[in-house]
Amino acid sequence: MNDAFKSLSDLTLAERYDLDEILDQASLAEMASSFEELFGVSLRIYGTSGRLLADTRRVPTLYGFLDRHLPGRLAVQKVIDRVRRAAPQPGSPERVGCISGGTYLARALVYDGRVRGRAILGPILDPEITAPPSELLEAAHGLPATELEEHFKKLPRLAPLEVERIAQHLESTLAVLTFSGLKAHLASNLHLESVKENFRELSEQNDKLKAAHDRLKELDRLKSNFLATVSHELRTPLTSIIGYSEMLLEGIAGDINQDQREFVETIHNKGEQLLGLIKTLLDLSKLESGTMSLRKDMMSCGDLVLDVVATLAPTAKKKGVKLQARVTDGVPELYADSARLRQVLLNLTENAIKFTPAGGEVTIAAQAGFMPQGDTGGAGAVLMGAARRPAVVLSVADTGIGIGVEDRDRVFDAFYQVDSSSTREAGGTGLGLSIVKRLVEAHDGLIDIASNQPSGTVFLVTLPSKRPPQ
Amino acid sequence: MQLDFVKRELTIKLVYYGPALSGKTTNLQALHAAADGETRGRLMSLDTKDDRTLFFDLLPLSYVDKSGLSVRLKVFTVPGQVIHGSTRRLVVQGADGVAFIADSRIGETDANAEAFVDLKDNLAAQGIALEKMPLIIQFNKRDLPEARSVDEIAEMARKGTEPVYLAVATRGEGVVESFIGLLHRTWHALDREHELGEKFGFDGDGFVGDMAKKLGNSSGLEDILRKAVAGRRKLSSTKIRVGGET
Repeated sequence: MNDAFKSLSDLTLAERYDLDEILDQASLAEMASSFEELFGVSLRIYGTSGRLLADTRRVPTLYGFLDRHLPGRLAVQKVIDRVRRAAPQPGSPERVGCISGGTYLARALVYDGRVRGRAILGPILDPEITAPPSELLEAAHGLPATELEEHFKKLPRLAPLEVERIAQHLESTLAVLTFSGLKAHLASNLHLESVKENFRELSEQNDKLKAAHDRLKELDRLKSNFLATVSHELRTPLTSIIGYSEMLLEGIAGDINQDQREFVETIHNKGEQLLGLIKTLLDLSKLESGTMSLRKDMMSCGDLVLDVVATLAPTAKKKGVKLQARVTDGVPELYADSARLRQVLLNLTENAIKFTPAGGEVTIAAQAGFMPQGDTGGAGAVLMGAARRPAVVLSVADTGIGIGVEDRDRVFDAFYQVDSSSTREAGGTGLGLSIVKRLVEAHDGLIDIASNQPSGTVFLVTLPSKRPPQ
Repeated sequence: MQLDFVKRELTIKLVYYGPALSGKTTNLQALHAAADGETRGRLMSLDTKDDRTLFFDLLPLSYVDKSGLSVRLKVFTVPGQVIHGSTRRLVVQGADGVAFIADSRIGETDANAEAFVDLKDNLAAQGIALEKMPLIIQFNKRDLPEARSVDEIAEMARKGTEPVYLAVATRGEGVVESFIGLLHRTWHALDREHELGEKFGFDGDGFVGDMAKKLGNSSGLEDILRKAVAGRRKLSSTKIRVGGET
């Protein structure tokens, strides 16, 4: 059983509360003094531990008077000691006589059948006592008699029945206060325990979710490993197929006739196509597992763009799409893997041509820019501004069908295609963009999609222009 | 249960469980109204909002036997709303007996069943099997037009082992009977486990009967227990078996 349960059991059953735990002392003191003001009787309230919880602090002036000499002081001290020792029981109050001839009334404070403390009222003089008793005269012997008379007169006087009524009133007032205090005490503690219990529950669920999450991550890793292994194993026999078909075509195994040549060419071409696909898969799994190694060097983006245009010009021409390059001055050099960036740009451009109808145009551009800084427009902009990093922005704009806002994040998912029916028409595996994104990220760059006006899509690749490590 | 040998004092915790708005608090209010001034303490309703209990209600009842043993009963309600699961779990902890207050309306059948499964789960979380917990079931709101018929309830109740009572808590009908039924079951379960009657020379049935009188029902314990629509027979047979063991 956990701690929360245990402590609540204590809370609701043990009832070992003392008054001082339940009642607010400042409020209790206020109540006591208003009580004294109303009835003219001094009041003290003690907890079960004997701790003084409230005190009206008004001592009869008579005590101050007696305090002036030793016999008087001793007599007062004796009274106070007796009052302190009073141990009233429920239903049987204790009366302690005072040197003044009056009485202290000590009553047990009971709540829910338990003694929770005691209240002491007094001293109160019976109105019938009109003259100082002999005990008092003795204690005041040697002090001015007129003053004694004056102080004696000031003592509060109440009939016993009246005192009883006041005491009962006090008890019921305290019972109400105790009830409210206990209620607040229970409520706040239960609240605390509920929060603890909720926290425990949520922590448990979090742990479960975390375990499930870790398991999924592990499965994902296994999938990538599997992909890498399979791709690798597929490549080996495929290399033989391509190699031997090539040898056949070269006539190493003797002459072949025209029909045989056509068949072998088909085998060779399809083999190359398959090899390309397997390489792509291998790249993806390497990028996912983070084992792709980049061969970085200083490179010019202008050259890269021109090279890609030159490579894809025949494809574009065949489709009737106008392909152009636009490289502005001052584009910084990049420290990057040029072969990989070429792959990125080729892929994006191929895609753009693929999705652009005849008569449309595709523009590849390179220009200088800055890395975007996220949401730093507000606080601390002055600090963040200093971190603006120069970058190269490569863009591929087409006038094709465009990509809807809701699809823009998902086009980078592996195997995802906006319209799977268009795959048949446009071809492709759906792996290209996913690899592009990962290659860009491997260069600490960002890839984004924007709309081209009036129609089509712009892919923006922003790469930080870093210096080679010294 | 808490037992203080020195003070000769026994504290028993009873919990009123059930779906939201089935009348748990109303049961406690009716008990409070029925009890005589000496027996009942102040009814504490902790944090209510729009007439719905957020934490719990607590009714303390006390009884001093002629043997000198004083019995303090703490009767709690749990908050019925589903979202207060953790509070329910806290309140039901350490319960010696449970009264399940069901809503008689046919449309509430699922809510009743759900709350009962919740009770079972929350007891299980503390390592207590529901079957070991002294339990009575009260079908409240008998006065509502959509209430399930008595015959149907009796028919269903015969399949169970616990006594089933009928009540209209808003009018106080069946409230004391249900409570006495619960107290009787709880007492016998505690007595079986702790031999309280023997240790203290305490007459358990006498105590339960006296409590009924203090709650304003003088028709006698046997008559009150006979008000249960089912489950009575099994209870008696349990008692006999226990008698054989001791």
